[in-house]
Parts: sequence; structure tokens; C-alpha cells
Amino acid sequence: MATITLGKAINEGLRKAMEDDPKVVIMGEDVGRLGGVFRVTDALQKDFGEDRVIDTPLAESGIIGTAIGLAIRGFRPVCEIQFDGFVFPAFDQIVSQVAHMHYRSAGNVKVPITIRIPYGGGIGAVEHHSESPESYFTHTPGLKVVTCSNPADAYSMIRQSIACDDPVIFFEPKRRYWDKAEVDLTAELSPLWKARVAREGSLATVITYGPSVRTCLEAAAAAETEGQDIEVIDLRALSPIDWDTVFASVRKTGHVVVVAEAPVFGSLAGEIAARISERCFYSLEAPVLRVGGYSTPYPTSRVEEDYLPDLDRILDAVDRSLAF
Amino acid sequence: MPPMAPPETATALPPPQPSEGPDFVQLLTPEGERVTHAQYSLDITDEEIRDLYRDLVLVRRIDSEATALQRQGELGLWANLLGQEAAQVGAGRALTDRDFAFPTYREHGVAYCKGVDPVTLMGLFRGTSQGGWDPQANGFGLYTIVIGSQTLHATGYAMGLQRDGGDGAAMAFFGDGASSQGDVNEAFVWASVFNAPVVFFCQNNQWAISEPLERQTRIPLYQRAQGFGFPGVRVDGNDVLAVLAVARAALARAREGSGPTLVEAYTYRMGAHTTSDDPTRYRVAADLEIWKLKDPIERVKAYLSRTGAGDAAFFASVEAAADEVAAHLRAGTLALADPDPISIFDHVYAGGSTLLDEEREQMSAYLASFADARH
Amino acid sequence: MPSFRDFALPDLGEGLTEGEILAWFVKPGDEVTLNQPIVEVETAKAAVEIPSPHAGVVSALHCAVGDTVDVGTPIITFDVDPGGAAAPAVDLTTSEASIRGGDLVPSEPGITGSPAPKAGSEEKIQILVGSGVKASKLTRRARVSAEPKPPAESNGEPARRPARVSAAGVGAHAERLADVHALAKPPVRKLARDLGVDLQVIGGTGPDGTVTRSDVQAAAAGGAAGVRRVAPAPDFDPATREQRVPIKGVRKLTAEAMVASAFTAPHVTDFITVDVTPMMELVTRLREHPDFAGVKVSPLLLVARALILAVEHFPMVNSAWDDDAQEIVVKGYVNLGIAAATPRGLIVPNIKDAARLSLPELAREMQTLTEVARAGHTAPADMARGTITITNVGVFGVDSGTPILNPGETAILCLGVVRDTPWVHEGQIAIRKVTQLALSFDHRIVDGQLGSEFLADLAGMLADPWRLVNWRSQ
Repeated sequence: MATITLGKAINEGLRKAMEDDPKVVIMGEDVGRLGGVFRVTDALQKDFGEDRVIDTPLAESGIIGTAIGLAIRGFRPVCEIQFDGFVFPAFDQIVSQVAHMHYRSAGNVKVPITIRIPYGGGIGAVEHHSESPESYFTHTPGLKVVTCSNPADAYSMIRQSIACDDPVIFFEPKRRYWDKAEVDLTAELSPLWKARVAREGSLATVITYGPSVRTCLEAAAAAETEGQDIEVIDLRALSPIDWDTVFASVRKTGHVVVVAEAPVFGSLAGEIAARISERCFYSLEAPVLRVGGYSTPYPTSRVEEDYLPDLDRILDAVDRSLAF
Repeated sequence: MPPMAPPETATALPPPQPSEGPDFVQLLTPEGERVTHAQYSLDITDEEIRDLYRDLVLVRRIDSEATALQRQGELGLWANLLGQEAAQVGAGRALTDRDFAFPTYREHGVAYCKGVDPVTLMGLFRGTSQGGWDPQANGFGLYTIVIGSQTLHATGYAMGLQRDGGDGAAMAFFGDGASSQGDVNEAFVWASVFNAPVVFFCQNNQWAISEPLERQTRIPLYQRAQGFGFPGVRVDGNDVLAVLAVARAALARAREGSGPTLVEAYTYRMGAHTTSDDPTRYRVAADLEIWKLKDPIERVKAYLSRTGAGDAAFFASVEAAADEVAAHLRAGTLALADPDPISIFDHVYAGGSTLLDEEREQMSAYLASFADARH
Repeated sequence: MPSFRDFALPDLGEGLTEGEILAWFVKPGDEVTLNQPIVEVETAKAAVEIPSPHAGVVSALHCAVGDTVDVGTPIITFDVDPGGAAAPAVDLTTSEASIRGGDLVPSEPGITGSPAPKAGSEEKIQILVGSGVKASKLTRRARVSAEPKPPAESNGEPARRPARVSAAGVGAHAERLADVHALAKPPVRKLARDLGVDLQVIGGTGPDGTVTRSDVQAAAAGGAAGVRRVAPAPDFDPATREQRVPIKGVRKLTAEAMVASAFTAPHVTDFITVDVTPMMELVTRLREHPDFAGVKVSPLLLVARALILAVEHFPMVNSAWDDDAQEIVVKGYVNLGIAAATPRGLIVPNIKDAARLSLPELAREMQTLTEVARAGHTAPADMARGTITITNVGVFGVDSGTPILNPGETAILCLGVVRDTPWVHEGQIAIRKVTQLALSFDHRIVDGQLGSEFLADLAGMLADPWRLVNWRSQ
């Protein structure tokens, strides 16, 4: 057992994946000598060499496109996109090529690529460094999308994502990179495609993922002092979603709030709300509420805390749900 | 075809040069005479030239039969390669079993040379599949419709060869239009800085649908490579011998670790962009006449006839072989059946998905709920 | 033998719905080879030559130069086996293109990019990519099943009233909500809240036991769960200030039965007041038990069970006076009647052989019986051959009554409302749940002692439900 940060947990997971499979290669801007701008790939090039930890040209489309070629040749590339807002130059290669290759080839070509993307806000950064683009990718058939919220999951999920034979977009909550927790590096890996009941409760269900999980847990703790018993579900997998865990919670409490940083309009939270309404209609005491970003570009850092879902906004939504 | 006059205020750069000068590699003239080139030569027997001739004729016949099939409603679309046979056969025959081709959607000639049954290509154009073949089977990648994307795939593949000790090379096919795409230029960057064993084979057929070459570049395309730091060569794309020589040399360079080469096969798209296109709207018939005189097949036939390397019996046998491949293509295409609707759900993932399982069940139940359902 | 093949104008890859014939290169009788150009068609303002799909002899041309032809219409017929004998068999081509597009008029003529309407249109739509827009469907395909069911409530969503269980695991020390949650759509919930109706106690008559809007309205109007008002508001004749209601139907039959019963059997009614607090606790516990998931559990269920057990102890109560044979028929089975108020009046359907049912089965039977009765669908067979009856006036908030025997039976039990009442409990005044039971019986068969002992035995089981321990049927 070690107490490590989320970023370090990913580093350990990458290291283990590289040790276990010589076909795993890591590639991205500044991942090698620098060890990544968040140090997530720290020391890996030193130990595994330049051929396996590749410092790439400044070309996101190139990172993903060449990764496809490497995959066709039999490698298992782990690509890093340096920041969420910079994934868009690679969007075509991801959506038109990575997502389609297995289907286009009638199953002949496997694309076991993992694309790591630090995402989310709350770090006081400039434009394009605080985005939550996960909905573009959950909306793309052919991709799988996951996100960790804590160090133990980070370690376990990066290893499983790399081992998965399908392309996985691995979203890393950058604002939580420095959160620490105990991680057992020898423990059995928890199933990748399962959601986690992060906190049990019976009054209301809060469904969330990534950076917002900690915020929701903090909100639930505050609510407990007021006698409100809130259940928090950490989705972990965003596509496909573990609906069984979600529906069981909804049927227990009847009150649902979905929390994520992404702008609410057109988001994954909308799909979750719609599907819950369809499948748990008679269990709902109130409509599914969503708390997330407003329909604006991500704001400047001095006001970002008013944009992001925080403890008060989450509990406000719970109150509104209970009032129905 | 007259190049557009550059704007008066621009620096006076020369327009793209047509076939002239030492930078233009040619080993067989349009009239069918063998010539030499200072840098590129080809050791080749008459039998091999006869084989190349057969390849050219069959590739053209595959293309024309597919076009007819489209006109008869059996294919939704066909991308014609008429006029580009030599470029594709020359490159295709330079590739060995160790080498991997990354095509666009027009490389039916390369596919043929790599041993891909032409019927295999038809599903995509008929609408019964998205491609569906196994690239590993013949070292021939799936057709990529997004322009230029495959050049990055080829480069990545080449980087893989570097890392696992493979002794082959990758060849990325693309056109003059694609050379403007960001991905192609990124591929040039990557291939050069990693010294990757990839040959960039550009068939400059002068047109990107209706956009002429002048809309893609102010300098001859092969000169681009210099800016990225690797060699570029312009070859007569209608001269199968020259293309073969240049492609072989470029592949050898790559395989031996000397890095990428840009090969610009200078040719002409004699047909339309696809069967949905109408070239009469944007180009003049006179240009076609000029290029007809440079026909890739005619010059080889002229050579074989004049030298006696090919006699009447030979030419007849080639026609017969062409008829055979056309009949095979026709029969195979007509036999391609519509996929079962439920097969929409197949092969989305290697590892399956709970969501798709659910949707597949729902669709199944829905389809079965109709009185006239096929059970 | 000649073999004829039609060739229809294909969709030439440009989203065509029609084409104009510019020139024919062949005529009937001409021999043609495969791929030989046969016709020139105008598409997208350029001419396209169509190569022959067959080798053979041209048998007929179906349109002339200048004609505008729909995609999918045969334009030429070939004999692909000339030199054979007579008996032509016209054979349409199997090409997909020949049955796509064409005859159906597309449904949205005004939208850019969709095929233009067929008749009288000058505009040729040029779609230069893809094999074109397919014609829209204009009729529905026939379905096998009647109505589509709402999707997958079945994946774990209980069809009936579920008890809420913990997401974390079965049997864990998780929070459980004591109440059962009623199935009702949001608008119905709102109505219930607005009318002050408690959804939990209403019997739902909707599909899968859901509470409907009319259930809520009836409960609000009737002041009690699920009971509908039987009679319409009086309609007095202004002249006489009287209303005359014809005597007919269920009311007539009920009246005749009442008279027959009341004036044949001498009725005596015994009363007992009982503290049923433990029994009410048992009701609550049973509601949470998985065996009772999705089934209504009410005091009536346990009263019925107690009645059945009391009958075991005092079988003479479960009998009939057979005047013709001059015999009393003591029944060894209990066909338990439950008086039910229906839209058409009072009926008494019975549960056959109720003593053989387990408690959950009995609960289900009672629920079904009530639902069917409320819907007015009780079959005559269900109302025949009853042996003993319960009537529940408690749902109306009434303490007790002197019920009239169901004809052919010897006893009838009346259950009153369960009320919080000051009571002496273990030597102290306490608020307890108290109710009254009344038993009317036929004094020809049952004397006062028997009747009282029976009633006291039954009440004793409700006061002390451990005496109901034998849940299984005999």
C-alpha cells in the first residue's frame, strides 16, 4: 500500500502496462524527456527508452494518425493529448478513423489505442485548458470512454484501458492530479465497465464522474449534517455506462441529480437523464435534474468557480428535486 | 491544360512544370521508345514487360467494367482510374510481400498487383460493406475516404517497422488534392524527423474533383519534400517502367533505413472523379486529347509490337484474360447480397458492448414484430 | 427458349428520380453485346451513356427519345436467349436500383435536396454524391402484436408496487423505507397531491396495478380507497319533487336475495371490540416481505386468515340449511366471499377453497377478486357456491354493522374501521389500534354460544397474531 497522488497512480499504471507488454508504446508531446507537463509520464523514457516513450512533433492529428499505423503493425499505443482543448486537431483521426477502423474492416483490424486526455477546469488556467469534451466522444460509436476520479481507480483503469482491445478515451481529471489516497498496487483490478457507489444513501441519487466526484462527496457530507442522506454514484465508464447500478439507485431513492462540468445543453448528462426517465419512470418522484456548465465558452479563471458545479449548486439541485 | 496566370502582385514563381527536364524521370516515351535516365535505370526482361502490359490492360478493364456496372445500377458509385494505370501498376509491382500499401479509394490497380481479388473492392462501392477486407492478408490497407488520413497511418506503420525490426516499408498513396491536407503535411513532418521507412507516392492526376493543380500548389509537388528534408522525385506517371524504377529505388531507400521519399507520379485523370462527377463542367476536351497521346498502355503496346516482344497471339491472350477478369468481376459483384439488417451491430467493437447488445435485441424484436417479417 | 429480361432506368449515382432519353443506339431486333452502349440519358445536365447489362437481342424499347422516365421504370427488354422457342416469360431485373425510387411520390417536396414531386415539375434536382435519396415510406407495415408495450420496465423495474431495497445489496443493513411506493405517472401524483389523496392506500386499476387518474378522482369523491359512487346524483321531477328509479338488474337481484335471506334465516348478530395493534404491526411487516412483493396486504387479509382458522375450530359455522333435504350441509372447504362494491352495485364473489391457499396466495386472490369486481368483470361462477362471507365496512370509516347473510350461508363477518383508541393495555391507558367485529349468523344452525365462541376465537387471533402462526393451508 502506498499513499500516492492520482497523477502518480497513472504513472504507476503506465509503468506496469509497459512492463507487462513490450508492444505498449507511449507517445505525445513532451511525454519523454520532460515526463509530461503534469509529470504523469515521469521517468518512463529513462527506463523504457526513446523508442517506446516517444516525444512527438507538435501535431495532434499526427499523434493519433501514426498511432493507428502502429496499431495496424501490432503495437498498443498510449497517446497523450496534452490538454482537453487541444484534442480537436486530432478529432477527425479519432472520430473518422480510430472509431471506424474495426467496423470498416469487418473486425479484421483491431485498434487497441488508449488516448489519455487531461480534462476539466478549476485549475486557474487560460483558454482551452479547462474543457470537458467527453460528450463528443461518448456520442461517437466505436469508441469507449472512461474517466477516473481517485488514485485507486486511476491506477486500475489505466491498466485495463491499455489492455482493452478497443480504442479507449481515458479522461484524467487534471484538477485532481494531486489528490492523494492509499493505493494497493497489487490488488485485483476492479471491473472497468462498472460504476461505483461512492457513497450510500437513501434520500437522493447524485450521478457524477471525474473531477466532480469529490465535489459531490463533499456536498453529501455537508448534507448529512442537515439530516439529508445522499447516495453518490461515480460512473467511471461513460461509454458504455453501467446502467444496472444507476437504475438500482434511482429505484431506491426516486430523486436524481446528474452532475458534470461540461455544458449541460447537449451533454452526456442529458442522455443519462433521458434514459433514466424512460427506464425508471414509475420510480421517479421528480424529474431528473442536471447540474453542469452554462451554455457559454469556459469562462476566464477568476470567475470559473461560479461556472463550475460546486457544493451549493449540487445541494440546491437536490433540494429542488425533493421539493417536487 | 493551361495553368492559371499567377496574380501580378505575387513574386514571379514559375508555374508547375509539365513534363520536361532532368527532374522528370522517363524510361519509355509515349511513342514506345526506351530511353535512359541519369539517375534511374531498370533492368527488365521482355517477359517482364509483357507481364506489365497484361497488368495494365487488366487493370483498365477492371476499371471500365466497374464503371459499366455502376451505369447499370449494380454499384452506387465508382472511382475511375482511367489514365493512371501505369502509375498504379508501376508502384504496385515495386511493392514486395514485406511492404504495406495504404491506399486512398482509387488504387484498384495497386490492389490488383498486391493480389487482392477485385470483387473484394466492390462491396464498398455497391453499398454492401464499408470495405471489410483484412489488410494483413495482402499488405493492402482499407480504402480511406477522408482525404490524406492514410498518410499518417502509413507513417505510423513505418515507425512500427522501425521498432520491431521489420524489413519492409510502407507506401502511402495520395493525390495532388490531398497534398494540401494538414494530415499529409504532418505525415511529412513525422516521417522526416523519425526517418521512417515510408514512401509517399503521390499520383498527381492534375485534378481534385474540379479543382486544378494550381489550386493546391505554386511549386511542383515533388519539390515540397525538400522543405521537409527528404528527397522528392517527379516521374512520368504514364510510364510504367519509370514508375517501377523510381518506386523500387524509393522503397529500397526506405528499407535500408535512409528514410522517406516523395514520389510524384505525374499523370492525368482521364475519367471523372467518380461516376457522380461531370468533368465537362470544368475542363475542356482539348486537354483530354493531349493526354490521350500519352496513353500508358498504348506506349507499351507500341514497344512490344515494334520490338516483336509481343505478337498477335500474345495480344489476343491478354484480351482474353481481360474478358475473363471482367466476367469474374461482373459475376462476383452481382452476387454481393444486401446485408441482413441486424448485421448493422456487428464489428463495432472487438470486445462488445452492453449497450449494443441491448440495442441489437430491441431491433431484433422490432423487426420480428412485423407481420411480413422474414423469420 | 427466349428469355426476356427487362432493364429499368437505374439510379445513376446522382440522386436521380427520373431521366430524359436523349438517344437510342439500338433498336428492336439488334444484337447487342455486354456493355455495348445502348442509350444516352440526360442527368444533371450531362449526358450519360448506359452500357448494356446483357448480351442478346433487343426485344423492345419502352420509351422514346424525348421521354422523361422515372428511375425504376423498364426502358428496354432483351431476349438473352434468342433462338429458343415461344412462350416468353417476362422477367424483371433483380437490380436493387430497379425497385428503388420511381413510383412513390416523395413526401416532402419543398425541402432542398430531396427529390422533386413527380407531376409537372420542371426542376431537376442534382445530387452529385451518393446513390441518392430513397423514396419515403407512405404506409405502415402491418404489425403482429397489438400495441407496443412500454420499453423494458422489465429489466428490474417491478411491475407492481415494489418495496424499495438497498442498491448496495440484498439483506444488508441498509435503509429501507417502511412504506410501499405506489406506481403512478407524474400527472396522477400531482392530482393526488392536489386532491389530498394518499396514493399508498388507493387500489390501482390501471395496467400492472398502477393508480390511474380516475382511481384518484374516485377516491377523492368517495372519501375512501377505490370505491366508486354507485348512484348518480338525484334527478327530481320539478312537478312532484320526486325521482322514480326502476327496480332492475343487480339491484333487483340483490334485493330478492336480501329478502330471501332476511326472512328465512333468523339473524342474530354478536359484537366484539378488539385491540389489533399487534395485528397491524404484522400487516406492516408482511408488506415488506419479498413473498408479498407486488401484492396488497391489508388487515382484511389477516381477518380472512383468522376466519378460515376459526372455521377449522368451529366447522358448523361454515354450513348451509338444506330445507328440501331437511339436512344441514357442513362444508369441509371454505369458499370465502368478500362483499365488494362495484359500479353496478353490491356483489359477493368468493375465493374457492380459500383454506388451501398459503397466505401470499390468499392475498393475491383477494386482490384479483377486488380488481375484477371493480372492473365489473366478475363471472357468475365466482359468485356461486360461497360458504362464508366477510364484509368490510371499515373502508367507509364505519365501526360496525348487522350484516345480512349471503343466501345459502350460515355466517357473515363484518369488519369495522381500525381506529386509534384509548385502551387499557397492560394495566395502563394507552392509545391502541382498536376495531369492532360483528358476526351475524343463522340461529337455526348456530346458537348463541357457538356464535360467540367462534367470534371470540377469531378476535383472539387478531389480538394475538402468534395464534395465526400456521400460515400454510391445511
